[in-house]
Amino acid sequence: MTRLSPLSVLYRAVQRSASIVFALAFFAFTGGTAFGGFLGGLGSVALVGVAVIAIAGYELAYFRRFEYELTPDTLDIRSGVFSRRNREIPYRRIQNVDISRNVAQRLVGIAAVNLETAGGGETEGSLRFVSYEEARRIQSEVARLKRGDTDGDAPEPEQELLFELTPRELAIVGALSFDLRLPGLVFVFGSTAFPIVASYVDVPVPAGSVAAAGVGVVALGLLVALVSWAAGFASAVVNYYGFRLTRVGDELQYERGLLQRYNGSIPIDKLQTLTVEDNPLKRRFGYATLLVETAGYAPSSDGSNGSGGGGRGSEAAIPLATRDRVLGLVADLEGVEEPTFERPPTRIRRRYAVRYSLVLGVATLALYGANRFLPQEIPWFVPLALVPVAVVAGALQWRHRGYALAEDHLVTRNGFWKREMRFVPYYRVQTVIERRTIFQRRWRVSTVTADTAGSISLVGGDATAVDIEVADAATLRETLNDRLREALSARREARQQSRQAALGIRAAEPDRDADESGEPAVADAEADVSETPEFVEEAEPAAAESVEDAADAEDAEVAEDTDEFDGEAEETADPFIWGGSVESGDDDATESDDETGDEPSGDGR
Amino acid sequence: MNRLHPRIRLLWVARAVVFALVVGGVAAAATLFAPVSIPSYVPVAVGVVFLVVGVALALLRYRAWGYEVRDDSLYLQRGVLTKVNTVVPFVRVQHVDSTRGPLERLVGLASTVVYTAGSRGADVSIPGLTPEGAEDLQDRLKRLAIASEGDDAV
Repeated sequence: MTRLSPLSVLYRAVQRSASIVFALAFFAFTGGTAFGGFLGGLGSVALVGVAVIAIAGYELAYFRRFEYELTPDTLDIRSGVFSRRNREIPYRRIQNVDISRNVAQRLVGIAAVNLETAGGGETEGSLRFVSYEEARRIQSEVARLKRGDTDGDAPEPEQELLFELTPRELAIVGALSFDLRLPGLVFVFGSTAFPIVASYVDVPVPAGSVAAAGVGVVALGLLVALVSWAAGFASAVVNYYGFRLTRVGDELQYERGLLQRYNGSIPIDKLQTLTVEDNPLKRRFGYATLLVETAGYAPSSDGSNGSGGGGRGSEAAIPLATRDRVLGLVADLEGVEEPTFERPPTRIRRRYAVRYSLVLGVATLALYGANRFLPQEIPWFVPLALVPVAVVAGALQWRHRGYALAEDHLVTRNGFWKREMRFVPYYRVQTVIERRTIFQRRWRVSTVTADTAGSISLVGGDATAVDIEVADAATLRETLNDRLREALSARREARQQSRQAALGIRAAEPDRDADESGEPAVADAEADVSETPEFVEEAEPAAAESVEDAADAEDAEVAEDTDEFDGEAEETADPFIWGGSVESGDDDATESDDETGDEPSGDGR
Repeated sequence: MNRLHPRIRLLWVARAVVFALVVGGVAAAATLFAPVSIPSYVPVAVGVVFLVVGVALALLRYRAWGYEVRDDSLYLQRGVLTKVNTVVPFVRVQHVDSTRGPLERLVGLASTVVYTAGSRGADVSIPGLTPEGAEDLQDRLKRLAIASEGDDAV
């Protein structure tokens, strides 16, 4: 059992009391004066003192009661001052190990370690704080133990520098970044402050001067753009300073950050999808961004872990590099090239043009309505002049949209301003969803989404083939399902072979392996589950649990052969499941059935 | 392709009726307290429109709903305005629930819910099954999920 770094007590106490004391002091001193100056002030000081002591005491207790241990197969964390928690995280389930250090932490030489597993909204393992060396040790130990190498005599995995951000590229990243948060804040502040300011200052409003207002709007727009650009530049430089991506054995490791240093590892076999992102500017100069998605990151824990721009899951992303380098890295990691895309049918260009024109029409109508009620004339017909732009935009959107079925990947591409090309390995597909809105039906197209277990998908959108022919969509849907199955079995076979080759023995059937709780078999099953959360998790332990269950499992295996037949038969003859076929089922008959008999009987066919 | 139990329409129609009543009630209240006089037939009309649309949607939804347990995947199709077809490969099934809500119990129905690790649209729910049917489906999906795994592991 290992403790946290003793320095963490001090750091945590200072960190926590700083905010609490500040708030307390603020309230006490502002509120305290109401009770009469001196006494209130003294009381506040006493209160603050008590609070500080209480916090320090709590942090000391937290430190004393926080222990972690790297056992051969799990990372155990025992923590909690009031309510105790013992948590064991199997190494194979760990998706990412992230280390972060801000300036103060770097000064005293401590670091925060976050361990993420798939699922769950929170960070599953969080060590605050350990010494930086210890953090690095945990990171490499977790990687080592995950490989099942418990003796530690295996050679250190070789390191290979995949990518390093040059100062020039960093400058370009900054130059191409816009951070709208700061102008947003200014805007919110300004919009509330403006009426107050205006009430004091008698602003001479030049009567009826549309031109002046227009100039003002443009100037404001320029200012916003400038501020957001400056903010974007600063945050990009701070975030991505010294970005390096290294391959260490079967893991990707990244480090970055000017003030706060981040350092994380992502097992390559945990990658869910890769996304290559660009915009017209980047395309013009031949640059692109790479985003990496794993199932580990909680979607909205942005602040807690201090991820900078780009949101979670983009930790190991390459902020910017030449397109060739990015695609080269994709090829390196996933073995897939940029394919030629199948675009939506050409008639869809019209759909987009119509859509944008509709937007323009609505804008025109709104302006026209405003014109009716405003004292002065405004040029409400201006949006109409943009109709040609709508047509061009429709064509552009169509051009940049498409999907491709590569050998092992589904690749989709969407967007003109923010063009995203997603690479989804077939074996990562979770479900396939095909949807057709009422508007899409008019154009005889539908949209196919390949859902993966990642989490930036929540905001970023899954790999989606938008507006493809209905027939193609149905084919794509089924193809994805088939390829998922094939890819999974191929992977499993390959892994089994490599495992057998590694062990040199035990060609026995895997079921037996698992039942005898042979270490390697169990470990492998775990590996399967951890990468691609699957049913085996429930299946294997159940089979091993009791004789009855084992018999059950055998039943299932026997049933396997007949299951297809079974399934078909049950659908129609099963007395319990309502089994009418849609094609043949006529509504009236079923309805009368319903009214007469409570117990629905399958109506055969 | 299997259909849902017809009695699910009862549930959905009832839900639409309740919703229409609530909307009508709100409209009526708004009419009562509105500063300008609104003709008294307006809330009724609003309620009727919601009722008709809601009931029609409920009935159409029933017609559109279908599911199929295939060799290697569960296939669902549903949706009135937006048609949605979902393929859930058995290998991806994490766990299967069968649930019975209070309203469902009232009409003697149950649902089966299939969970995958997907990020969205992941939780697939099949309403309108008889309780036995839901359990049976749950059991069958479970077995198929295990079998598909075993199949691949060999």
